[in-house]
Amino acid sequence: MFKNYLKIAWRNLTKNKGYSIINIGGLALGLTVTILIGLWIFDETTYNTNFKNHGHIAQILVNKTNNGETRTRFTLPYPLADELRNTYAGDFEHVVMGSFPGDNILSVEEKNLNEYGAFMEKDALRMFSLHMLKGNHDALNDPNSIVISESTAKAFFGNEDPMGKTMKINNDRNVTVKGVFEELPTNADIFDALRAFTESEKLQFIAPWDLYVASNDWVKTARDRKLWDNNSYQVYVQISDRSSMHAVNDKIKNILYDHVPEGSKQSDPKIFLHPMKDWHLKSSFKNGVSVGGAIQYVRMFGIIGIFVLLLACINFMNLSTARAQKRAKEVGIRKTVGSNKNQLVGQFMFESFVVTLSAFVLAIVLVALLLPLFNQLADKQIVLPFFNPIFWSIGLGLVLATSIMAGSYPALYLSSFRPMKVLKGSLLTGTSAMSFRKALVIIQFTVSIILVVGTVVVNRQIQHTKNQPIGYDKSELIMVEKNTEDFEGKYNSLREALKKTGVVAEMAESSSPLTEIWHSNGGYEWEGKDPSFMTNINSNYVSHDFGKTVGWEMAQGRDFSRDFASDSTAYILNEAAVEYMNLQDPIGKTIRWSDGEHKVIGVVKNLITESPFEPVKQCIYTIRYDETNLINLKLAPSKSPTESLAQIETVFQKFAPSVPFEYQFVDAAFGNKFKTEERMRKLSGIFSFLALFISCLGLFGLATFMAEQRTKEIGIRKVLGASISSLFKMLSKDFAVLILVSGVIAIPVAYYFMEQWLQNYTYRIAIPLWVFGAAILGVLLVAIFTISFQAIRAAKQNPVESLRTE
Amino acid sequence: MLLQLNNIFKWVNSGGQRVFLLKDINLEVEEGEFISIMGPSGSGKSTLLNVIGMLDAFDEGEYNFMDESVHTLKEKHRANLYKQYIGFVFQAYHLIDELTVYENLEMPLLYKNMKSSERKAVVADMLDRFNIVGKKDLFPTQLSGGQQQLVGVARALIGKPKLILADEPTGNLNSQQGEEIMEIFKQLNSEGVTVIQVTHSEKNAGYGSRIINLLDGRKIEG
Ligand SMILES: Nc1ncnc2c1ncn2[C@@H]1O[C@H](COP(=O)(O)OP(=O)(O)OP(=O)(O)O)[C@@H](O)[C@H]1O
Ligand SMILES: [Mg+2]
Repeated sequence: MFKNYLKIAWRNLTKNKGYSIINIGGLALGLTVTILIGLWIFDETTYNTNFKNHGHIAQILVNKTNNGETRTRFTLPYPLADELRNTYAGDFEHVVMGSFPGDNILSVEEKNLNEYGAFMEKDALRMFSLHMLKGNHDALNDPNSIVISESTAKAFFGNEDPMGKTMKINNDRNVTVKGVFEELPTNADIFDALRAFTESEKLQFIAPWDLYVASNDWVKTARDRKLWDNNSYQVYVQISDRSSMHAVNDKIKNILYDHVPEGSKQSDPKIFLHPMKDWHLKSSFKNGVSVGGAIQYVRMFGIIGIFVLLLACINFMNLSTARAQKRAKEVGIRKTVGSNKNQLVGQFMFESFVVTLSAFVLAIVLVALLLPLFNQLADKQIVLPFFNPIFWSIGLGLVLATSIMAGSYPALYLSSFRPMKVLKGSLLTGTSAMSFRKALVIIQFTVSIILVVGTVVVNRQIQHTKNQPIGYDKSELIMVEKNTEDFEGKYNSLREALKKTGVVAEMAESSSPLTEIWHSNGGYEWEGKDPSFMTNINSNYVSHDFGKTVGWEMAQGRDFSRDFASDSTAYILNEAAVEYMNLQDPIGKTIRWSDGEHKVIGVVKNLITESPFEPVKQCIYTIRYDETNLINLKLAPSKSPTESLAQIETVFQKFAPSVPFEYQFVDAAFGNKFKTEERMRKLSGIFSFLALFISCLGLFGLATFMAEQRTKEIGIRKVLGASISSLFKMLSKDFAVLILVSGVIAIPVAYYFMEQWLQNYTYRIAIPLWVFGAAILGVLLVAIFTISFQAIRAAKQNPVESLRTE
Repeated sequence: MLLQLNNIFKWVNSGGQRVFLLKDINLEVEEGEFISIMGPSGSGKSTLLNVIGMLDAFDEGEYNFMDESVHTLKEKHRANLYKQYIGFVFQAYHLIDELTVYENLEMPLLYKNMKSSERKAVVADMLDRFNIVGKKDLFPTQLSGGQQQLVGVARALIGKPKLILADEPTGNLNSQQGEEIMEIFKQLNSEGVTVIQVTHSEKNAGYGSRIINLLDGRKIEG
């Protein structure tokens, strides 16, 4: 019996090549999208599950409330770790303090490389269950040791055994390699929760915490004096198997409050555990509670994947029922020779399965081909799990589900006829079948229009945000992180040397890069301030030439100048700060801070340094050469950047020979702020294109069928004098109406979803109404273009010929 | 008694009016009979035959087939009854275009879940009996009308039905081909198979033992 079904299925497929291509091709496209999205979601949701103890690991975060606004932070005071370890020993397996991860210079003899890593307490290796290729989990017990990643070992030592070799950290301390760990998988990251602050980089080394203490006096002070109000450290924990996150949370939440000095109690610090399983997808906090994060995109693309597949299934259903007429005779005959309804349903479901399976095979090929492109787009390193039986069983499940979804209606529809009815051919006019097909087309185009509107809105939101003034000139501006003490006290000579090359127009230093803010302070006082108001203001410590280098714009007053010795304590505010402090006439006003009084000499227009989608925060610029972390360079115009950079590197090498010269273009760093949105833009663009394409594929099939069905009618009409254009109109009108109906349904849905998405951004567009009109019109044009082939062909047909075919 | 129709009515609604296709049909058929249904075009012959063959529903009356009341049976049960006892020959052949002659013949056996080896033997026997062995791998569109009808008859007989229903089986054939088919029916009838055929030809009707005349959906005596 199966053989018989298979034969019929195969002969039908090869006999109606057009339909088969549309059916299988459309379904394959839908499945490709679904598989890609499925792989992506799997990758996202299995983040960090490679760590053996991932269910018990957490990072400690703290909620602090100032002026009614709660912010979630991860910086904690030094004594907290010891307190947890000693007083709550039963609740924790490990408590590990760590430094802020970042680039550090590792050197072996003449070779210097910037490597990403952190200083951590010795339990880190055991807690994160790092897979040690050399050495063991006790490797960090010696304070002058280091463990490095496999690739770092390779970079420094090639094929030699790295164990026991000496390296230098930040041109400062010598350490011995005591272990090599296997590179973390691509979807694992122990500093994941910090992603909002750092660019995605892989962990390359861990150095002992004691070394960090020994090489930084301020850390030593914090340890020795048990400073509860110096927040500079991160704390990771692994709770014991007997405890739960919930129970531990309850116990520890007030520890900070109980220990901080009186003055800091005002902010009501509450600590809590941020479980490892949430680091990647749920690291967004608003007002102290988790508001999701990347999980939003997982959900959204999940929905899109299902919809694209649905569209492809609809094609299948639509084309099969449209072809019911042709298959009806077969159904009738089968019934008259003894088939019952279930057998017929089985047969059509089997055909559906064959088609879906072919589509699946094609989809796997497409996925394999498209994966590199997709990885680039989604910033991933997903591989097709060819040898994973789970993948194939899910694949088979998908095929079954799809073939049921796509085949059930045609199967039930076709097999429900009374044999004589189909043999006589009286079911063709079935209006319920017609309206069902129309409903399906409406669903397809509704989804397509929603996606098109979505794409346009995402585009406009990005464009809108990019078009706002950013307050400085980011072109030809580069920044270099100092990382070491090598540049200390060499500011003027470095600046002179660089300017002498002619390729650098200006140089300045700052404590934060132009695209981030690394410092904020409280405790500011000024005349007229409400005494109960808890201040929190960003600060950027800069050199005299900062304004000139970045090209900021003064709104009032003047820039820093070497002509005024008093400028060393002067403040320049941004406009947001003037508003924040509610200063009427800011120039000349005095602001007090813990280090004394400061005069405001100028106000600059707001510089966008953090999220371009949020309002700019209040910021104070002040001159402090000893607090800077970055060198900013404005390249001279009309020079080739590569040449300029080569010359700059020579100068840098002269001043700090053991520091690798690494720079970043501010323009690119600024562009990174749109990474998520740009990815959204690209993906939504691709998905709406695919949705529209699949829908049009189905429409094309339907139009072909309709034209076929109406050949006789068209012939008669032509004989009676109908013109080609009137026939074209007649054939297209029905479809046009369907698309307009889709538009009407799509508008409120699209509006709702896009409003929802825009709520993520404080700085956002209002959705203009023309977007809907344009989307509907665009889709309508594409659809009419699609059916025009068939409509014109049918309308042009020689009437004698078309009548003879009856 | 093979089957019995009591007061069968069938109608369609057209423009708010009932148009009767069958009116008060009463019929008893004994096993082994050879019946011809005759009447002018549009008198309801095909309709009646389809009702007997359970391919079409009726609106009023009772229909008993081998002591089962067809009008109360579920579709599945009815299909089983049909597939077990009835073979149908159409005027318009109704072969599946995508299957070869061999596969068309084999199909009813598949639905009877016959074993593969037995199926082969039965199909081979049929092909041989109708002299179409040479055509077994051709598709219906590659056959002449007469050959197609032969296949249609062969397909109706292959399941060894108790009752053969034939709607103008020779309508599209030349007289010699028609005679061949009639001879086959006669042969089967003599083996005990009941035959009911619709025909316009007095000569073909002569093969039967009884003639039923229809006019405007009503049975007329004589
Ligand atoms: N589904 C239907 N709807 C309306 N009228 C129908 C339907 N089916 C059959 N008829 C009508 O019923 C009547 C009987 O049809 P039937 O096919 O039984 O005639 P027939 O005796 O077999 O004629 P012929 O010798 O031409 O084959 C005809 O007048 C036909 O128009
Ligand atoms: Mg008839």
